[in-house]
Amino acid sequence: MNMFKVISRLAIAMTFFVTALANAEVAVIVSASNANSALDQDTISRVFLGKTSNFPDGSQAIPVDQNEGSASREAFNDKVLGKSSSQLKAYWSRLIFTGKGTPPKESGSDADIKNLVAKNPNLIGYVDSSVVDSSVKVVFKF
Amino acid sequence: MVLRKSGLAAAVLLACSPAAFSDDLNINGFMNVTAGNLSTEDISLDGYDDGVSFDVGTVVGLQMSKQVNDTTSATVQLISRGSDNYSTEASWAYVTYAANENTDIRMGRLRTPFFYYSDFLEVGYAYNWVRPPSIVYRLDAFSSISGVDVTHRFAIAGMDGSVQAYTGRYNDDFTLSGDTYNIELRRAAGLVFSLNSGDFGARLSYHQADLTLDVDPTGGRALDNLAAGGALAGVGDEFTADEDKAKFYQASVSYDNGSTAVIAEWTALDQTTALLNDDSAYLISAAQRFGDATVHLTYTVAEDDLESGVVGQVQKNAESKENSIILGMRYDYDSSTAFKVDIQQHDEELVNGAKGESGLLYNVGMSLVF
Repeated sequence: MNMFKVISRLAIAMTFFVTALANAEVAVIVSASNANSALDQDTISRVFLGKTSNFPDGSQAIPVDQNEGSASREAFNDKVLGKSSSQLKAYWSRLIFTGKGTPPKESGSDADIKNLVAKNPNLIGYVDSSVVDSSVKVVFKF
Repeated sequence: MVLRKSGLAAAVLLACSPAAFSDDLNINGFMNVTAGNLSTEDISLDGYDDGVSFDVGTVVGLQMSKQVNDTTSATVQLISRGSDNYSTEASWAYVTYAANENTDIRMGRLRTPFFYYSDFLEVGYAYNWVRPPSIVYRLDAFSSISGVDVTHRFAIAGMDGSVQAYTGRYNDDFTLSGDTYNIELRRAAGLVFSLNSGDFGARLSYHQADLTLDVDPTGGRALDNLAAGGALAGVGDEFTADEDKAKFYQASVSYDNGSTAVIAEWTALDQTTALLNDDSAYLISAAQRFGDATVHLTYTVAEDDLESGVVGQVQKNAESKENSIILGMRYDYDSSTAFKVDIQQHDEELVNGAKGESGLLYNVGMSLVF
């Protein structure tokens, strides 16, 4: 195999890899035993900003965040909440120090969140679509 | 010895870690480090002078909250201020009882909710200025109160709102122009109504208290002299403060779409005693975000409102009218640290009834939350 072939194969592989990253889809999930089937972006954003603590069916909703720096979290903040991480920090620091709210608990990576949400029908989280299985239900995708 | 020490350290760490990492103990903190310099000592503003001062605007706060059971939590906020020689005080210490999912009752030492920014007055990271403009944010002495409050949150027609009612009392020394007075607020109570719809917000509040001040016409302090002046003019009865009603009004509207933010806030103080002048003060501020940098511009005015007749003639000796323009920039260094620069052009049109001076206040600061 000559050098040119190696480089071109590498380039093709890289292209696939980058495309895969760019197309990575993030899914908002609840437990398979949660009664709510689909949620709109506004409802999800209200839950994650602490403006409501209930699902549309009235049951308690507890949002869980991924750890700071995860790709899914960046995408979720940007596309669903429409805020940068420093804007979110300022938002929560207005609530934390008044006792009027606490941010969603940082609870790990895609796989950790999926496992937590699967076990508790009150939790709502977001994960990369690739980790979704039958233990959880996708209520929103972006 | 070294081994023994590290063994002790490990034991302490082990003893502490279950609490420190348990699910329901939350520890949060904030810190502002600010340096300020006044272009001239012909004006007085926020305690700065024409040298560089770090202490005036430096604040560290640590908040611990613990969920005791499903409905009850305890919160303590310890604050150490450079302006107070870094002595630590509990600005807040209260127990919250969640009566239901939308109603909280708090008891203890609370932040008095006078202003839009009151709840996070010292959390610099939460706003753009180095500090909220002091000619509007002027009730610092009473920023905490001991009592009880009830907050009810509601949602109607796509809007989020809350109603907060509180009552309590306050008794402490306070310092005005270098003189110290004992002040007591009894039967302090207030109502705060706020509404948010998308990027828009509005807040209305009303506060009242019975005010007592230890003013003595022979005491020699500024307010004592004012009381003596009142007595000399034959209106001495007006220049006392013995459970005299004081009222405070606040209204604000705000808009923030994430890149452009505007706020206008109006406040007014209405005193029964003639010792303290009635006044009104407002600010209008606009901010524009460019990536990690935010540029903001604020115009703010405060003006005394004197009584009529002889009482007003005496009050004129303490009349004040001032305005400021603040131009500033905030830079978000990372998601928990912000750097700030503010330049404030301050104009004292009237100080104690006479024409005043104008000057510049330069502030640089760093705010963080952790």
